[in-house]
Amino acid sequence: MNVGDRIPEVERTPDAVDLFMFSAAAWLLHRIHYDLPYTTEEEGHPELLIHGPLQGTYLMQAAQWWLGTDASIHSITYRHKAPAYLGDTLVCGGEVTTVSNRTVEMELWARKPDGTVTTEGRAVFATGAG
Amino acid sequence: MTLITSDAVAWANQEFPAYSVTVGRSDIQRFAMAIGERDPIHLDIAAAQAAGYADVVAPPYFPYVLRMQAGTLGPKAALAPDGSPARDVPPLETTRAMAGETSIEFGTRVVAGDTITVAKRIVDLYEKEGRSGALVFLVTEFEFTNQRGELVMRETFTRIFR
Repeated sequence: MNVGDRIPEVERTPDAVDLFMFSAAAWLLHRIHYDLPYTTEEEGHPELLIHGPLQGTYLMQAAQWWLGTDASIHSITYRHKAPAYLGDTLVCGGEVTTVSNRTVEMELWARKPDGTVTTEGRAVFATGAG
Repeated sequence: MTLITSDAVAWANQEFPAYSVTVGRSDIQRFAMAIGERDPIHLDIAAAQAAGYADVVAPPYFPYVLRMQAGTLGPKAALAPDGSPARDVPPLETTRAMAGETSIEFGTRVVAGDTITVAKRIVDLYEKEGRSGALVFLVTEFEFTNQRGELVMRETFTRIFR
């Protein structure tokens, strides 16, 4: 593994069932993830929103699936830059920025096919004996 | 004009009692399915045991479920208009909330049967002028420890109100 290596991109297109399962698993009751009339009429969005924590999870998975089961995540920081709506495809990828003895640090992002970044961050994984 | 009133400051200074949750196997399986996990150690006991665990292992970000589920459980009458638990919403004249920055440190993995203690504290409540007007940032820290006192996860989460 080298600095500059790219994580293979993983495309995620969560549908209404995916949004429901995430809200249900977390008991997340925020209406903008399931109540379309509320979301459009009261909050002015065009569609239901894909949860920020679900996008964060997609970033962790893109990195973890590439590194394999011997690697384990040590830390991650991410920030939401633009809303992601039901129907959007999120292309999740990243680039290795630092490689040291037993850790790898990378930039991660989720972007729409038009290039708009919805979530971006940095993560550190421990490699080898996880 | 400031959006952060003395009521909001008093709200931010409140203390939250820590609480403990025993993690069920299906809690982990449900979260793993909801995020489309591929590794069977999160879903299947035999696969988890073959990997050296006593029971199914949670995906790293699973403790999020514990702070949402047990931490916010309450009757429907206790919800704000946007569906969030009213007690999690600072007294502000804002109407919309969004996820901001999240910073997470991971420790020992959660295994079904663990009892996790969740400690919550408000780190900061501040205001900033955004492109579309004033924004209020609420920074909350959650610390999760297991029954052996080991750190499981520490999450600092910013929610933005406008």
